[in-house]
This record gives sequence, C-alpha cells and structure tokens, in this order.
Amino acid sequence: MDMHMMKMSRVATEMHAREALEKAKAVQPKLNAMVTFCEVDEQLENLKNIDTNAKLYGMPIVLKDNINTKGILTTASSNILGNYIPVYNAHIVDKLQAAGAIVIGKTSMDELGMGGTNLSAATGPVYNPYDLNRISGGSSGGSAVMVSSGVVPFALGTDTGDSVRKPASYNNIIGVKPTYGRISRYGVIPYASSLDHVGYFTRSVRDAALALEVLAGRDDRDMTSSYLPVEEYTAKATGEVSGVKVAVIKNIMDMASDELKTQTNTLMEQLRAKGAVVEEVTMNEDLLKACLAVYFVISNCEATANHSNLDGIRFGVQYGENSYEDIMTKSRTAGFSTLIRKRFVIGSFGLADENQERLLRKAQKVRRLIVEEMHRVLGEFDAIVAPASLHGAPLLDATSDQLSLEYLIAENYMCMANFSGDPSMTIPYATVEGLPVGLNITCSAFNEAGMFNLAKAIEDVTGLCDVVKEVL
Amino acid sequence: MNFETVIGIELHCELKTKTKMFSSAPVSFGARSNSCVNEIDLGHPGTLPCLNKKAVELAIRACTATNCTIDSLVKFDRKNYYYTDLPKGFQITQQFHPIGSNGYVIIDVEGEQKKVRLNRIHMEEDTAKQFHYSDGTYVDYNRSGIPLIEIVTEADMRSGKEAAAYVEKMRNILYYLGVSDGKMEEGSMRCDVNVSIRPVGSEKFGTKTEIKNLNSISNVQKAIEVEVERQKEEIEAGREIIQATYRFDEATRKTVMMRKKEGAVDYKYFPEPNIFPIQLDLNWIKKIQEEMPEVPEQRKARYEKEYGLSEYDISVLIANKDVSDFYDAVMKHTTNAKLAANWVITELLSILNKNNVDITNAKIQPVHLASMVDMIAKDEISGKQAKEVFVDVVEGKDPKAVIEAKGMKQVSDSSALLAIINSVLDEQPQSIQDYKNGKDRAIGFLVGQVMKKSKGQANPKMTNQLLLQEIAKR
Repeated sequence: MDMHMMKMSRVATEMHAREALEKAKAVQPKLNAMVTFCEVDEQLENLKNIDTNAKLYGMPIVLKDNINTKGILTTASSNILGNYIPVYNAHIVDKLQAAGAIVIGKTSMDELGMGGTNLSAATGPVYNPYDLNRISGGSSGGSAVMVSSGVVPFALGTDTGDSVRKPASYNNIIGVKPTYGRISRYGVIPYASSLDHVGYFTRSVRDAALALEVLAGRDDRDMTSSYLPVEEYTAKATGEVSGVKVAVIKNIMDMASDELKTQTNTLMEQLRAKGAVVEEVTMNEDLLKACLAVYFVISNCEATANHSNLDGIRFGVQYGENSYEDIMTKSRTAGFSTLIRKRFVIGSFGLADENQERLLRKAQKVRRLIVEEMHRVLGEFDAIVAPASLHGAPLLDATSDQLSLEYLIAENYMCMANFSGDPSMTIPYATVEGLPVGLNITCSAFNEAGMFNLAKAIEDVTGLCDVVKEVL
Repeated sequence: MNFETVIGIELHCELKTKTKMFSSAPVSFGARSNSCVNEIDLGHPGTLPCLNKKAVELAIRACTATNCTIDSLVKFDRKNYYYTDLPKGFQITQQFHPIGSNGYVIIDVEGEQKKVRLNRIHMEEDTAKQFHYSDGTYVDYNRSGIPLIEIVTEADMRSGKEAAAYVEKMRNILYYLGVSDGKMEEGSMRCDVNVSIRPVGSEKFGTKTEIKNLNSISNVQKAIEVEVERQKEEIEAGREIIQATYRFDEATRKTVMMRKKEGAVDYKYFPEPNIFPIQLDLNWIKKIQEEMPEVPEQRKARYEKEYGLSEYDISVLIANKDVSDFYDAVMKHTTNAKLAANWVITELLSILNKNNVDITNAKIQPVHLASMVDMIAKDEISGKQAKEVFVDVVEGKDPKAVIEAKGMKQVSDSSALLAIINSVLDEQPQSIQDYKNGKDRAIGFLVGQVMKKSKGQANPKMTNQLLLQEIAKR
C-alpha cells in the first residue's frame, strides 16, 4: 500500500505497525536484512502526542544501521560497534518520529557503508527477494529489501557512491539521494563526509516526494545543511513533462544489451509522446572512466580519518588492556574486517604527505572536472538519465572484471552525483534476463521537484508503482 | 666562542567563549571532570562540527591587535593522529589557511623596543586533559574541544628576557582584549619555546630544541637560559645538539629531554570536509575591529591625555588590567585623577597584597574610593584620617558612613573653629608674643593646641589661616 493512502484510525495504525514488525521477523530467515528489531509499544504510545494528520502518522519504517538511535543498538554492521548504543538520535530520527513514523528496526549494510554488495555486513549477506541466490546490493541492502519485500513502504539508507540507487535498481524500487545539504547528516555514522548523503527507498514517486518533505531542512548541527526552504514536492510531482529536456548518456547506452536498449528506447519514446525532449548525449569518456578511481581515492582518504574515532577507548568493543596503544591496536584489528582495514591502509597512503598531491589532491581536481562535465550537460538539459546498471542483481558469488569499461563506466558512473552533490534517484523501468533494472535520473542541485516530476511521468508510463515481491 | 641565541615561540591560548569550538557544550574552568561534554567532544560516531562564531570574533581581535593580515575566507583542516587525548582521531585546525598571518608586536626590553614578527595565528580545538596516576591514565574531556588560537612567532628573539617580555606582552594584549584569560598556571595559555644557538655572525640556524609546557613567564626566561647553557656546553665539548623535546624541571633548574624528534611526524593534513570554506562578511570584521576593547597602548595614551598621569603611575596601573579597570571605575565618579591613582597604586594595592586578595574579588567599591578621594581634595578629611577610613573602605564600607560613625568629620565650620582658636590664644599669650617677635615655629605650637582641643578634627588648613587672622587682631 502506498503510504500516502495510509490515513487510518489509531487502532488500525497500531495494528499496522505491529504487523510490519511481525512480517519483518517472518522474512528474516529468508532475507537476513535486519540487525535489530525495535520495540514499538512506547513509540505507539507517543503517537498520542502527534497530530493524526502528521505526514507519516503511524507509518512503520526501518533505518539503515548507521543512523543513530538513542538507546538502540547502532552497529553500522561493524564488529567494532557491535555493542554501541548511541546517546543521541540522528537529526532525521527526531524528524521522522515527529512526523509520526514508527521505527520497527535497524537494517543490515556493508560494513560502515563501505561496499556495494552488502556481503561485508557483520551479520552476513542480505538476500534479494527477486532471487535469494542474488545480492541485495549495498551498502543500504537491508533497507532496500525491506521495502521491496513489502515489509515497510519507506526505509532510510545512505548513499556515498550509489549505495541507495544501486540496490534500488536491483530491488525494483525507488531510491533517492537528494542534493548534498538537503538532509542533515548529523547523527549518521559517516563513510566519506564530502560524498555522504542520507537517502531512502520507497515504492512510489508520491511517497518519495512526501518523504523528502519530512526529511529535508536546515539543521544547525550540520554546517553543510542548506537554508533553502523545503518545497511541496508531492504537489509538484504531476508527471507533466512537456518541454522537459532529458539527456540519455550515450556512452552507457552503447554498452547495453539489446534487451535493455529496446526497453530504454521504448520508455524514451513514451516520454517524447508526453512532450519531453529526449536526446542522447556523449559525455567525456576519459572522465567517466576516472569516476571509480576518483571515488576510491577520495572516499578511502576521508573514511580513514572519519573512522579514527573507532579506537575502543570511549565506546564500542574493546580489546587489549595494557596501554592505550594496546587497546587501540587490538580493538581496531579485531573490530574491522580485513577489507575495511585494507581500505584504511589505502586511505592512509593517499593522505600521506609524500603521496597526497598525486593521489587525494589529484583526485579532487579530477572530481571537479567530472562535475564540470556533468554541469555542461545539465546546463542544456533538465535531467541526465541512464540505466542504473546494465544487469540485474549479481549472484552472491559473482565476480566482475573490475578493469572492463563496462564495469568502470556503466556500473560505477552514479557516484558522479555524489561528486557534484546533485539530486539523483533510481526508478524501476526494465527487466534484464528476468531481473529488475532501474533508470537513474540526475538533475541540478535542489531541483528535487523537477526530478520527482520526471520520475512521476516515468512511473505513469511503466505502471511500476508500489510493486512488492513477496517472499513468504 | 661567542654564541647568539635564537628563539621562536608558540603560544596556545584558550579563547574566552561560553561554549566549545565546534560543539554547544559549555566551557567552564574548574568544573567537575567530564561534566562539560557532549557527544561531539567525545568523538561519538555521526557527530559533526559546528563552528563557534564568538571564537572567530575573538581570533579576529587577536589578529587585529597584533597587526596580522586577516584571511576573510575561513577554512579548517584535519590533523590526523591517534592518541587518548584526541577523541576523533583528528584535530580540526587551520593548517593551510590560518586566519591571521604576517603580524608583529613591539616588546620593551630594558628600555629598548624590539619588533617580534608573527608568522601566523590560527584557530583550533583543544585536546582532552590526561592525568597519569600509578593505577592508570585518567582523561578529562572537559577540555576536549575548547577553542584555541595558536600564535607562532618568527625566530626573532635573542634572549630569555626577550622571550619573557614577548610572552608577557601577548598575555597582556589578549587579556585586555577579552580574548583569553592568559593564565599560564591554569593552562589557559601554554607556551612552547624553540631554542637554538649559533656562532655570532653565522647566518645558519643551529639545531633547535623545543621546551614544552612552560607554566609561568619567569620559567620561560629561566628555561631558555639553562637550555642555552646546556647547548653551549654540548657544542664546546664537541657534541652535536640533538633535535628533541624538553621540559623544564623547576626543582633542579634543568631542561630534561622527553623525546627525540626522529623525522617529522606526518599528520596527513587535509581540508575538513564537514566545514565548507566560510566567507566572512567584511562589515562584520570591521565592526569587531571598531568595537574592540582597548589594548594596553591605547589605555596608556588615554591616561596621558585625559588624566595627565605620570609615566610611572601609568605603567603600574596598566600592568594589571584588573587594577587599571578598577581605576577607570573610580574615575567615573571623580575628577581627582592623580590623587585617585596614588590611592590605588600605593594604599589599595599594598593592602590587597598584604591580605592576598585579588582586586577582582575585593570588596572595595570604586564609588567609595572616589568619594573618599574627593573629601581629601576638599579638605573635608585629612590624609591621616583618610588612611584610617580607608581600612573600612577596603572592606566595602562607604567612607561617609565611616566618618560619621567615627565622628571624624573635620571641623571646617569657621565659627566653631574660631571659638576653639580664641580660647587657645587666650591661654597662650606667650606664643602670640613669640610669633610677633619673629618666631614662626610658635604657629606650629598653636595649631597643635587647636588640634588637641578639637580632638584632631580641626581642618588644619583652615586652622592655620584663622590663627594668623586672629593673632593679627590682637
């Protein structure tokens, strides 16, 4: 059910939240998406103090486990935070609860958000409802499958490279990463601060627009959060796209299978029929190829510093006892997986005095060039679109050729919108080899209204609204 | 061989803000350990820094008073290292773009003026404070995140005396500006000194050592002097100076090596991603500069111009801002500038010193001292009486009430005085005769008799005049 349709009595509301919690528990053996199930009694009690017209009144939701919840275990799916109970709520948790949302649980993710498969979670892989032998995608995998399997209509994630938009594509749902600064990051355990965004999943464009009305807004505790007023995105997402200019990235379409090309072309024809102007645009291929490398350097450098607070001294799991060096060394050795430690080494290497100029600083320069290239296109078009991936979710044990053009460009270009901070979302539209694939839409900064409007037009023609893949 | 000493100084000054550099937790000296902290100061996951505007304002004051060029585009960087006193694993500082650069201050050393150039002033956050005990290390996070400015000089000082004069000068300026308490013993101002020596005439700097955590201005001078001696002995014995960090041991009056500096530590500085560069409003900077409190030089000029005080009086008053502030408060209620200055400098300070009371905690009211000074000037009480009254004024009492209660008021009423004088003259015809025969001392005797009869309350000046007048009549 669409969440905007959920206005109901208190009793029905209560039942709804409890049912969602029961369903979350029921699908857990199949999907392994949850880290923690929350108590809902007190939250339902608190609903008495909330206007029944509140935007998310009584809505059951789940939060990615890197979003701090006061008094509730928050692990970021890392062993080092295996016992971490935050002393404060993330800004968005307060906002969601004030809007009437009921948090039924915390969801699995790639350890500290550093991954795209959800295979690195401390609690193990999250399985894809469309094929339990396949990955959910990551890093917000748990949240994605809770929405696609119909447990909740809305779930919070975070997106540093494509960690909301990629799993949305793999799960046939909507994944939104608004403009950098549109949603406060205060209380969200970081990965790479200059790239991190709060994002979320829904099953309809209207819900996506409604969710942003709740989540967006200035927070004085996040200096990067914007003062721009929050718009009425729901009212503006009409699907009226006459004259809207859409650029399809040709470089990516050239690599797509005929099956995906056909469906993409059909969708574009349907948009043209609605009056949109759709053109294929070739972007600078060298810059597209550089995206992953730039992302890798910047994100690991920032992550290394960001996670230096995880030392076992003041909170988290503590090993060692002889000295602070002993505690820090042992806690960080035992607390992080090998993969994460490898990334820290790489980040440290990139930050080192003798390397920083040719690694981090260079990556930042190329980042700016990539953003300029995006803005060249967005100067002429209202939106840049391309398939979020050329394929459905990979098998759990799949490997990919990480040096192929397809991998470098088609599977990793979405981090461009993290470089620029522009709003970007993925919406269901195609099926490749029987698996869902989403279309990525990126617009200019703070033009979420335009982005939702185009998404609404797409939803109207695909009819892929509120699609649920039951696993029970 | 003759050596020249070369000294550069880094001062870390805690800014006098109500809250921390990047968090809303309160700043409070002497509060119970770990009571002034929030999740940000403890480096909890998900926290973000929020810059304290007041800290920027105070940094701008410091830059202005030290002639620094102010960078109106404020940027911060991360300095990365692991240590128990650093909860986030990095310190937010201004490595690449300090708010102030290329400044200078003029110091006075034994009558000579000397320019000390400042390389930079930058803002940063303090670390937590550690206490090492036999059963382990304790950490107080109250200090974690307190706003600091670090002031770095060029290697311009050439003696321990100059270094001490520089530190004193900076402490005074920062205190006058309300930027910092500058209390070295409480750690609100911390001083690290870099010292090297080189043969006189040599251009090349010698290998320097760093002396950390000097807790008083006199120790700055002492530590440098003993370190210079140590370095001379090393060189004269044919040994090399090892680059290292030292501390000054007060008891043995020696510098003690803490650790060698083996290659520079790589702090992996990079721009802080959670604070975008902030373009300060130039009008805001101008307003801060216009509304800045007086620095000592300005106050000195004002005292000369408005009060006409002597150089000595001025130097004693402004050496301590609190004393000078008290004097200013007194001067709001009186025009007798010189007399008021005398009373503050001699009587007040000596009583406070004797009782070991700080002027900021003293009970004395400026308005009371002003009214006492006025009464002295108007001859309503004698200087001798004033000293007696002052004992109570220091305790916070109104001099008028004290005089009233003690029945001390001078007899300045001429008819009352005349009555006493004439009765004295009637009793002392010999003295009148003596005076008329040219013995001026006789007047002194007669004044004494009047004083005796009036129980010391006769106004001496009036007594003198009236005596002469009455003798002339006889």
